[in-house]
Formats: sequence, structure tokens, C-alpha cells
Amino acid sequence: MSITFVMCSLLIAGGLAWFAEGVKANSARYVALLLVLIVSAYFVFALIMTNSSADYNQLHLLVRVAWINSFNIEYALAIDYLSIVLVSLTLFLSLICILVSWHEIKEKVGFYYFNLLASIAGIIGVFTAVDMFLFFFFWEVMLLPMTALIAIWGHENKHFAAIKFFIFTQVSSLLMLVAIIAMAAVHFKQTGQLSFFYQDWLTLDLPLSLAQYLMLGFFIAFAVKLPSVPVHSWLPDAHTQAPTAGSVLLAGVLLKTGAYGLIRFVLQLFPEASLNFAPFAATLGVVSILYGAKMAFAQQDFKRLVAYSSISHMGFVMLALFSFNGVAYQGAILTLVAHGLSSAALFSLAGMIYSRIHSRNLMNMGGFWQGAPRMGGFALVFAAAAFGLPGLANFVAEFLSLVGAYQVYPLLTIFAALGLIGSAIYGMVLFQNSFQGDFKGSLQASLPAPKKSVFKDLSRRELLVCSALVSLLIVIGFYPNLILIFFQTADIALVNNNLVGAVQ
Amino acid sequence: MTLMMLHNLLPLLIVAFGIVLSLLLIAWHRSQKSILIFTLLIFVCALLASISLSINMNESVQVTVLLKVDGYGNFAVILVLLASMAVSLLSSRWLTNSLEVHDEYFVLIQLVVLGAGILVMSDHFAALFLGFELLSIALVGLVGYGKNCQFSVETSFKYLILSASASSFMLLGIAFIYSQTGSLSFVPVNINSDYGFFYQTGMLLFLVGIAFKLSLAPFHFWTPDVYQGSPVPITLLLASVSKVAMFIVLMKYWFSQSYIFSEHNGSEKMLLIINVLAITSMLVGNALALKQQNIKRLLAYSSIAHIGYLLIVLLIVSPQSIELAWQGALFYLSAYVLATVSIFTALVLTQAKNDSAMMQVKDWQGLFWHHRPLALLIIFAVLSLAGIPLTMGFIGKFYLLNIAVQAQQWWLIGVLIIGSGIGLVYYLNIIFIVFHTGQKTNSDSKEQILPLPALKFMQKLTVITLIFMGVFLGLLPDTLSELFAVK
Repeated sequence: MSITFVMCSLLIAGGLAWFAEGVKANSARYVALLLVLIVSAYFVFALIMTNSSADYNQLHLLVRVAWINSFNIEYALAIDYLSIVLVSLTLFLSLICILVSWHEIKEKVGFYYFNLLASIAGIIGVFTAVDMFLFFFFWEVMLLPMTALIAIWGHENKHFAAIKFFIFTQVSSLLMLVAIIAMAAVHFKQTGQLSFFYQDWLTLDLPLSLAQYLMLGFFIAFAVKLPSVPVHSWLPDAHTQAPTAGSVLLAGVLLKTGAYGLIRFVLQLFPEASLNFAPFAATLGVVSILYGAKMAFAQQDFKRLVAYSSISHMGFVMLALFSFNGVAYQGAILTLVAHGLSSAALFSLAGMIYSRIHSRNLMNMGGFWQGAPRMGGFALVFAAAAFGLPGLANFVAEFLSLVGAYQVYPLLTIFAALGLIGSAIYGMVLFQNSFQGDFKGSLQASLPAPKKSVFKDLSRRELLVCSALVSLLIVIGFYPNLILIFFQTADIALVNNNLVGAVQ
Repeated sequence: MTLMMLHNLLPLLIVAFGIVLSLLLIAWHRSQKSILIFTLLIFVCALLASISLSINMNESVQVTVLLKVDGYGNFAVILVLLASMAVSLLSSRWLTNSLEVHDEYFVLIQLVVLGAGILVMSDHFAALFLGFELLSIALVGLVGYGKNCQFSVETSFKYLILSASASSFMLLGIAFIYSQTGSLSFVPVNINSDYGFFYQTGMLLFLVGIAFKLSLAPFHFWTPDVYQGSPVPITLLLASVSKVAMFIVLMKYWFSQSYIFSEHNGSEKMLLIINVLAITSMLVGNALALKQQNIKRLLAYSSIAHIGYLLIVLLIVSPQSIELAWQGALFYLSAYVLATVSIFTALVLTQAKNDSAMMQVKDWQGLFWHHRPLALLIIFAVLSLAGIPLTMGFIGKFYLLNIAVQAQQWWLIGVLIIGSGIGLVYYLNIIFIVFHTGQKTNSDSKEQILPLPALKFMQKLTVITLIFMGVFLGLLPDTLSELFAVK
């Protein structure tokens, strides 16, 4: 299987979409959709073909060639089940992204799809790179088109949001770059050769005093991306100002790169240092859960509310990961997928409402159920998913996280569980304000209040988006083993090994 | 003077001889076109000579006591020549706007190149001073060349006085150093003896002279005014050729002092001074650029920050890292020169009227949707300056961080990260303006903005080549670093 091929074809697909738009208006979206479908089909097909022969419990090296010789930097990609799950999520959400931008983007359409696909290619690179320089390279490459998406097609305050987003991630990732270089220098000291190769680093014997600082460099970069309190403040702005697909991509996948980094690099490269740091990180996670829930409750802006809820949900991931427990680890992975789907769903919904009333303000919403019962039904399911109703994916994910974490941090977990109540409250606030009550079209004086009939129900395209997301949420909710089965053996052993290794 | 020495000095000899021939050419036939072609011809010949030299270069060759030709210096000559060719080409466009014939302008450019060439090859304070003055005096003439520009007198006076005081500081410093070592060579004869207070003062004064030229904070005050007031190609000359030559000679001097690697008390003081210069330059340069709307002033402040970053290479602690420091500095300088050339090319090509001094960032509004190649050129140049991957600037920054990590300069790394963070605000602002959608807003001028004329074929080709070079070397930096790697 060739991830390089997937990334290149996504880039080329973006270029083709851009080109096609120049030839014939409105053709870019068809080109993009078709090509991403083909790429996804290739990915699934290639996966099935190689599944019998390869063991993805461990990192399975796909390609390793020299790139920059003066620093012994290589182009190396590898996948294991974690990468496969996240890449699949990325490809699935990229289809959703294209579908939700179908009518929303009216300006510079070709370039929009180019940016969207380039960003997705970068994200896939992040999930598969095992040379740390390459990882950093993709880490930044996914950032550039994402920033362009916010800065060009965003809402009223887009430049500020884009700059804030970029600076937060860039400064924190420079810290990571310093840590990466320092690791390479340690490798040089111990073996006489520079190396940025991940698996070489696993064999290094790091003194704890140094490992602490290096771990912190990685941790800050990933905590910003996750995001965790106190470095979360870019997220509400970026989410609110981004176009719908941008928000879907940000919440659905980009935040997951932070979690992925924590799992792959922080926990595995610095097991001992992470263990020492764990109480602090877990506390940060719990603070994020409660703070995110509280802030979400106080928001007037539909997208801002969902953005704060993301902070709350990713707090569960942080808590679960730093409790070094097999069950919690499974919960964390499942949270990644479940939150990817549910937040993508809520942001898509926000985009659909925005396209009808041109407002994100909850005060301008209300009574949509009367005009759009189907949309209301879906919204109820999505809100229920966000607050973890049993039967939907998020419930299993959060339940596992809490059960696992309770064995290690009982007190913190009790507080974290309060976040579930918070999420139920803001979820209901969201739903009530928008779909129940009297019909309110728009409060803006300049616009005449639209009649009920103007607020149309879901179109066929929107129905496709919503039902795809709902069905996945329900399937995973009822049968979480679909994903958990991959993480039952190897990774628990890895987590436990780390724990044991660290304690010894 | 053997044939071997002459051979190694060939690029400089070609330029020097070219200057004489240019003067003859002017006496014989005054035409701007012919002198431009002749200047380019000289630069191309010198370039070929230095490229062939750097391919066959095995070890450094001492040419008399004054000069020393080595791979690093040779690469710097190539860089200087390439930048000067860009300057000459850009000048030809700028000079067409007035009626006079501007022969002497090109002779002055050649003199600057000669000065820079001597500087990067020098191994002796006499050669250094010769190169320094050749460069400065020719530049004074060029800086004030735009007679009709409202800033030209102010600019050239500022530059003249400050560069004269800088060179007198430097001379005093050299005298102090001479008083202690009894030698004007960069490498003192008796290395082991313990130099006292005067030697350190001498080094400090010498540093001040160079810092003026490199516009390191707190010696940066002339930079924005001179950048703004000079004609665009000359600003480019100041930003590229002058900075490269000064920095290379500083490195040559610095690394030939075994003094700085000794455990001696004074060496720590010198390192501390460099540290302070670097930190203040990074912070001051980035902070002042933050609110700047004038493109040339913005570039001036950003250049202060960049040279501040670059000072990191001087802070290595062991002689083993010298090679990496050289490679890092040369790569960073190449990236910086390429980005600066790109951005100034864009500036010249987008300049509607003949007042580049007033060019605002917002004049580039929405450029991406009308003039894609030019906009891409600006975007990649700015990304390179900001040090974002895909561009050379990132690899340059990667080199610097490598050097800093090896030298364990954690404070400097911290300031570099903060400085880059501040820098992103104004770099991204430029990019967003280039991407700006919607109507072009122009509040302060009532006149209709003329649309930019479409690029001619050659201009388009140049622009695309510059973009391609930036991305290619950013993705495959080995192609460049092999040029100056030690064989």
C-alpha cells in the first residue's frame, strides 16, 4: 500500500479541481468529490489486500528513502492500526467536507478545493510520518492551507482568527522542533550519527532530567493542537470564523493530530517523564472538560458553543491517555473517532442553518422544527451524541475513558464525570434554542423575517451528509468493537510495558 | 604571486578589470543598454570563474598575506554576483524612467561587487578595510542616486555620516588590536599570549563597526530611512550584497580567533556581547516591523531581525562546530538573499508610479486573483522569511536551531521562537492582503488605480524561475549545501 500515492493523488486532485473550475464553472466540486472517492476506495482496497500479509499491531514501515543527507533525514512512512483508523476518519470527513461546501463556497471555488485537499494530504502525512523531520514538515504543511481556508473563505473576523490560529500552532511547534533537534543531537552523542528516525529514537537511553524538558517541548505543541486549557484560546475563534468545511476539518481531524502526537510521541518516546508529568496533564484534562462545558453553556454563537464543547471532549482524551490504563486508552481512541464524527456533524448542521438564516447566533434561531422536522431529528441525534447518550459512539468512548481513569485518579475522574452533566445541559440549550419554541427567522431589523416555508428542510445532499454521520455514530455506539478490536492486544501491552518500564 | 594565486583570484580580477573596461566603454560610447549588457557580461564571467573554482576547490589558498580564498568565501562571491545581477536587471527597469544616460550607476554597482568580493576573501585587516571602504563609498553614491526623489539627500547623508563613523570606530578597534598583537592578520602570530583589556576593547569597537553595517540593534537607526529613501534596486543591494559580505567577513574574523574558544575570561564577555546583540536585534527588529505599513521600511526592520537570528552561528563553543556554523550561515544567507531578491523583484514589477518610497503593503491587495505568478512570488518569499516549511528559509532556520541546540543556547532559542512568533503577525498580514478578496479599497487617493500591465515574457520567466528555485531548494536543500560542503 502506498500512502505516498494517496497524498500525491489528493494534491493532484486539488490541482485538477482548481484547473477544472477555470475551464467550467461549478465543476471543481464534482472533480474533487469524484477523485477523493477514488482515493478513498483505493485506500480501503489496498488495506484489505494487505491486511492478511501485514501485522498492523506494530508500526509497519511502508517506505524509507534518504531525503536530506546532510542531516541524515529520511522520507519514511509507516502505519499501524492507530494511523489506519485516523486516516480512514480523515478520508471519510473529507468527503463530508466537500459535500457541505457544495453551495456554501461561491468565490474562488477552484482554489478553495485545492486548499481543502492539500490540507487533507498534509494531515494524512502527519498520521503516517515516522521520520520526525518529515512529521514536522507535514505538521506545518497541513497548517498553511488550513489557514488559507479560514483567512479567505471565513466569516467577518477571519484575518484575526487565522493569524491567531497560525501563531499559536507555529510557536508551539517551534518548541517541538527544538525538542526534535535536541533528540537528534542526543542520538548523535550516543551513537555517533544524527538520526530523525522514530524507531531509532525508541532505542535511545534518555536520562530523566533531559527527557522531562524534551517531553515538555512535544507536549506543549500537542496540547495546543488538542487543545487543552490554558492554550485553547485559538480554537473558538478559528472554529467560529472558518467556513463550514474548515470547522469540520478542524474539529474532526486537526484536533486529532494533537492526540495522535501525544499517543505516538509523548507517551512512547518519554514513558518515564510522561508518568511523572501525568498527574499534571490529567488535571489539565479535567480542567479542560469542566471549563469547556461551562464556556459552551454560556455561548450565544452556535459554532462557538460547539467549539467549546470540543475542548471539553478532548479533555477526556487527555485524562484517559495520561492515566496509563488499557481501558482508558481504548476509550481515548474511541473518543477521537466519536468526537470526530459528532463535532463534524454539529458543525455541518451549523453550516446548514447558516445557509438558511445567515446567522450563527442562537438568539436568532428557534422553532426550526416546524419548518424542518427532518433536520430537527438529526440535530437531536447529534446533540444527544455530543452529550453521550447511550447507543451512540460518544457514550461508549467517554464511559471507557472514565472507567479506566477512575482506577488511577478516582477524585479527578469524579470531577470529570461532572462534565457529562454539563454536556447534557449545553446540548439541550443548543437544541432547544434552535429547534424548539416559536419560529424566529432572523432578528435583524434590516431583513424581513422569513416565513416558515423559507426555512427549508434538508436537501438530498444534506440528507446524505447527516445520515452518513448518524449511521456511523449509531454503528460504533452499538458495536464499538469495530474499532476497539484493533487496540485490544498490542497497544495495551505497549501501555503496560511503558508503565512497568517506567516504574522499574 | 604565483599563477595559482592569480587563478584563485580570477573572479575578483575579472570584476576589477571589468570596471576599467567599463570606464573606457563609457568614454567611447554612452549608452545605457550597452553598459548594462557589459556589466551583466562581467558578472557572468566572474560567476563562471567562481563556480569552476568552487568545483575544483580542495583547500584554502592564501593569496599574499591579504587575501585567503576558500570554499566558503567563494560561495559568498557566487551569492554576491547573483544578487548583483538581479540588481542590475532591476535597475534597468527603474532607470528607463528618466531621460539621462546612467553609465556611472553601473560602474558603481561593479565597485560595490568588487568591495564585497574583497571583503569575503580577506584575511587581513588591511584587505578588510579596503573592501569595506570600496563598498561603502560606492554605496553612498548609489543610495542618493535618485536625484528627483524627495528622500535622496536625507538618505545619502544619513548613510554617509553613519557609515563614516562606523568605519572610524572600526579603525580605532583595529588599531587597539594591533597594539596588542603587533599583527594586522586575522590570525594573530602569537596565539597563546594573554591579551588584556585593550584587545577586548579593540574587538568590541571592531564589532561596533560591523554591527553598524549589519544594522544590528542598537545600531539600526539608519536602516529604515535608508531602505525607504534609496531606489529599489539599491535597497536590494544594501539588503543582500552588503549584508552578505559584512557577515561573511565577521565570521572569517571570528572563527580565526582561537581566543573565543579558550577558557579565558574575556571570551565569555565577547560571547555575552554577541548574545545581547542577537537578542535585542531579534526583538527590536520584529517588534518595530509589527505596525509597519510601508513595504521597504517593513523589510528593513525584518532584516534587522534576520541578522539577529544569524548571529547565533557565532556562538558556537567548540572548534568542531565551525563547519556546521559555516554551512548554516551560508544556507541562511542564500535563503535570505533569494527571498529578498524575490520580494524586491515583485516590488519593482508592481510599482505603479515612480515612488517606491511610498509603496504600502495594501497596494498588493488582492494581487493573487489578478497576477498569480507575482503573488506566488511574494507569498513564497514571505513564507521563506517567516521560516515556514516548503521554503529555503525553513531549512535555514533548521540549521540555526541545530547550531543553537549544539551550543546549548537555550535563552537564544527562546528569544528566536518569540521573535518568529511576532514576525508571523506581519508576514501573515502581507499574505492575507495578497489573498484579499472583494473590492480593492483605496481611501486616501481619489485617482483611479491603474491595473498593472501584464508581465512580459521575460519578466514572467524570471518570476517563475525565482519561485521554482525557492521551492526546489526548500525541498531538496542538499543540492545547495553540497556546493559548500567540505570535500
